Amino acid sequence: MAHGAALDLDPEAAQAAIEHCYEQGWSDGLPLVPATRELVDRFLDQTDRSPDEVIGRMDHLGRTCTVELAAVNAAMAGCLPEYFPVVLAAWEAVMRDRAAKGGGWQSTSGPAPMIIVNGPVRTELGFNSTGGAFGPGFRPNATVARAIGLIVRNAFGIRPHEFDQATQGLPGRFSICFGENEEESPWEPLSVEMGVPEGQSAVSATLLRTCEFVDNRHTTDPEQVLFDFADTIVRTGSLIFRDQSCFVVFGPEHAQLLAKEGFSKADVKDWFIEHCVRSESDLRRVGKDAVGEGGLGGRGPSPEERVSRDTLTPIVPSREQVPIAVTGARNAAMSLVCRVFGTWSNTSCPIERGGRGAMVGGDSGRRR
Amino acid sequence: MGSLIMDPTGQTTRVEAEMQLAHRPPSLSGRTVGLLDNGKQNAGRFVEELGKVLAERYGVGSVVLRKKPVATVDAPSELLEELHHAAELVVIGVGDCGSCSAAAVADGIALERLGTPTAVVCTESFKATADAMAVVRGAAGYRYATVEHPMAGLPGDEVRARAEGVADEVVSLLVDAAVRRGAA
Repeated sequence: MAHGAALDLDPEAAQAAIEHCYEQGWSDGLPLVPATRELVDRFLDQTDRSPDEVIGRMDHLGRTCTVELAAVNAAMAGCLPEYFPVVLAAWEAVMRDRAAKGGGWQSTSGPAPMIIVNGPVRTELGFNSTGGAFGPGFRPNATVARAIGLIVRNAFGIRPHEFDQATQGLPGRFSICFGENEEESPWEPLSVEMGVPEGQSAVSATLLRTCEFVDNRHTTDPEQVLFDFADTIVRTGSLIFRDQSCFVVFGPEHAQLLAKEGFSKADVKDWFIEHCVRSESDLRRVGKDAVGEGGLGGRGPSPEERVSRDTLTPIVPSREQVPIAVTGARNAAMSLVCRVFGTWSNTSCPIERGGRGAMVGGDSGRRR
Repeated sequence: MGSLIMDPTGQTTRVEAEMQLAHRPPSLSGRTVGLLDNGKQNAGRFVEELGKVLAERYGVGSVVLRKKPVATVDAPSELLEELHHAAELVVIGVGDCGSCSAAAVADGIALERLGTPTAVVCTESFKATADAMAVVRGAAGYRYATVEHPMAGLPGDEVRARAEGVADEVVSLLVDAAVRRGAA
């Protein structure tokens, strides 16, 4: 028989408080931490920003999110107060996605934010950036992503079966947050590539449609490996618009293999731009050969052939459409192709610690 | 001593005054009807076909066609003002996605507030989000017409059939004095 905690706790009061949160409709389905004024104040102590500052708007729903509301939701998600600057940066990064500012959260696509953390904050707060980086098991990864989901649900009022009209949604929605494995990546960190100074912690984010694995432990020929990625990138089922964006999240082994053969990040992107193409006959076979009427860029079947069947359409026509990050363990040659829902913002947001968080600096992580 | 659990929604309970819709004319005969195409695939064709059916069956005098720049959010207020002045009644279509169905209802309610009787058409799959938007805009129970889902991807003759099938419902939303009193 397990021993109960011999601390001066009141589990029954905790259970009642958790049930109260469920009854209010605040939960994403899992228990929430009941947030008190005192707890939320500890979150607000970690930033110099005013609690009343508006950090997100859904004007068409009559909703706004303030720093304080973000803190309440982060506390309820299970974050520690010292994660709060990361939540604020992640929120800003997510909201830089054009779709997140419009109707993206209400979309039938049910997109999921993918949050990438760079810099010393990963080790200071204990973000997982190695084995199993996509989860579960690590409090910062799990709760920062969950906080974003709770803000959308509670502060924006976008809930499933109401304003959230996801057809199926994404596996892992509101749980995707990982640290970049900078230590084993052969390339510069994503945040540095985006112009944030080296050593400065930062968050990048985009909305995803899904993640698909590429397992190639079969060859060490870089071109063969890249063709295996290309096959996933050009899959027609995911094609809606004229072209698309794919966030390629390499495992360290694939990244190191490519780097060893002389591929820089830019080289890999250029290779994808050149080789990720689809023929008109392939697109016609699946009814996606024409840009649909309606001006939304959708593909629909064209009654007549518009161009010859061997015409090739680039799927990821620019470097911005194939961002690259590295995460996971260096224990197998596996990677993920992550499909961007809208348009990757091509930016990273520095994490700004303020208030008491700035005073204790890197010490905050040791409190875990 | 228990302490209060903070509310993560930032909402205070609002008491909504019941919204009064615009005055309805007794019939559509000779009236100018605005057709607002929300830009979704087949929406333009649908509202145009509906305009033709309204002219053929109900004697609508003329139609004014306008298109929303972005389907997923509210129409710009200038566009709604323009429609309010150019047309006596307005039909909006087609709410057939998560955000654009809510946005279509929002546009309909905005036009009602300007004084223009409006009929919004959504596909039946999006009633929940359309109803939720009506609540947000202070018009709980706002009535709109529904057509079978989907609308995108339909061939032209089926779009026409959808327009013919929903025409009576659209007309009753535009002329029936009972609609003004709110939810049925």
